[in-house]
Amino acid sequence: MQHFWNDPLGWGNAGIFIAGAVAVLAVVIFFVTYAIYFERKFIGWMQFRKGPNRVGPLGLLQTVADVAKLLLKEDTIPSKADKGLFVLAPVLAFVPSFVVLAFIPYSMNLQFADLNVGFLYYIALSGITTIAIVVGGWASNNKYSLLGGMRSAAQMISYEVPLVMSIVGVVMMTGSLNLRDIVIAQEGYFWDWNFLPQILGFGIFVISAISELNRTPFDLPEAESELVAGYHVEYSGFRFAFFMLTEYIYLYAIACLTTLLFLGGWNPPFPQLDFIPGVLWFFLKFAFIVFTIFWIRATFPRLRVDQLMSLAWKVLLPLAILNIFLTALGIELM
Amino acid sequence: MFNFNIDFSGEFFAFFSLAICAIVGAVLAINFTKVVHIVMSLAFTFVALAGLYILLNAEFVAFVQVLLYVGAVTILMIFGIMMTKHDGEGQEPARPLLETLAAIGCICLFGILFFAIRNADFPTEVAPLPDDNTRAIGLELFSRYAVPFELISVLLTVAFIGAVALAKREEDPQ
Repeated sequence: MQHFWNDPLGWGNAGIFIAGAVAVLAVVIFFVTYAIYFERKFIGWMQFRKGPNRVGPLGLLQTVADVAKLLLKEDTIPSKADKGLFVLAPVLAFVPSFVVLAFIPYSMNLQFADLNVGFLYYIALSGITTIAIVVGGWASNNKYSLLGGMRSAAQMISYEVPLVMSIVGVVMMTGSLNLRDIVIAQEGYFWDWNFLPQILGFGIFVISAISELNRTPFDLPEAESELVAGYHVEYSGFRFAFFMLTEYIYLYAIACLTTLLFLGGWNPPFPQLDFIPGVLWFFLKFAFIVFTIFWIRATFPRLRVDQLMSLAWKVLLPLAILNIFLTALGIELM
Repeated sequence: MFNFNIDFSGEFFAFFSLAICAIVGAVLAINFTKVVHIVMSLAFTFVALAGLYILLNAEFVAFVQVLLYVGAVTILMIFGIMMTKHDGEGQEPARPLLETLAAIGCICLFGILFFAIRNADFPTEVAPLPDDNTRAIGLELFSRYAVPFELISVLLTVAFIGAVALAKREEDPQ
């Protein structure tokens, strides 16, 4: 995709850009549909039940039916709500989540924007979604959604810090923030991938990423047993669907980022296997991470809110700083 | 003074729309009466400014702008607003004399700025921009500007510890 950037923007190129964006949207919506299906299936199997199995063969159309239900639902706006912000919040949450996907390189030649700021781009844009969640909670004019929004924002901001610090080690080893360079630096056997030399950073990254996604065991913002539902109590219909879509797109983005930063991106585990195209390796690692996140959801209990904050600030952040020092020492001594 | 020699390129249109977004955000921030709306329009201005930085090939500055101003500062303001009460929101009594004086002052300031900007001559590109400006910023920051950078981080640490100490003191008497 890169060479299109340097050509002058004519109708043809604009058409290619739009087609690219629509293609990504289609892939993402397909991913979200079947991520939800497999999440329910996996959790069902782990809890010794069948999961969705009525709509379509093997229940494959369950999510499609659910989305259709959401789209056909009556669109309610509470009468005391702040109408403008109530309507704006789902849009403001969704747009950055989709824009984030522009910089992900799926293989050597399949990438939309080659940015030299790399990971910073993800962190910067996901901050806008945090605003949308707080604003959505506030605009609903409901104390439960306000509480949910506050908790969500506090959690996402707190875990952003160790998330950024944990990849500093990777950036130091590569000498670049660019995702493409980071993947190229991991070429070779699977023990050259960053997750082994950066095992501490990898652990911190995965924990803070799951928390950043508001998923179990860190799903306090929408703890169904204590907060009604969280920041989206008053949302229904397609606005609610947009919030859910946003969450799953961030799941997609985080799984891609974990693959790229720590699991060698499109590199095969053994250089002898490079006759299999890179996109396939990327997809396999990506699917493995998504599965792991579902697995964690099915097996871990939820943390308490005070434990959550002290985990971020008193455990993960010092460990991330320790990781930076260890990496610096390692680079100096080797 | 008034020779607007502008060539209508894509960059010009991008600049123009981003500038309009920034100004609209700023004007709305003044005109809204609810504080949360004001903060949201400020955030809109910040995003438009980040777009302008990208136009100037300063991606790093642009995304740090989004990260800090849109992400951190705006959320801090929203938190501050939500935690406090706002009973005094609404129309203030009109003060015609003050408003006229403020308008005259604003027009004078605009005139001065306009005149100054039109008369300033900007040197054309002094040095070619480095290809990877994120790397260039990092190298400068940790070599030539290492001492100011470290001083700033010490200052931040002091502020951080101070904030913790203040929060602790409020908790004590019980």
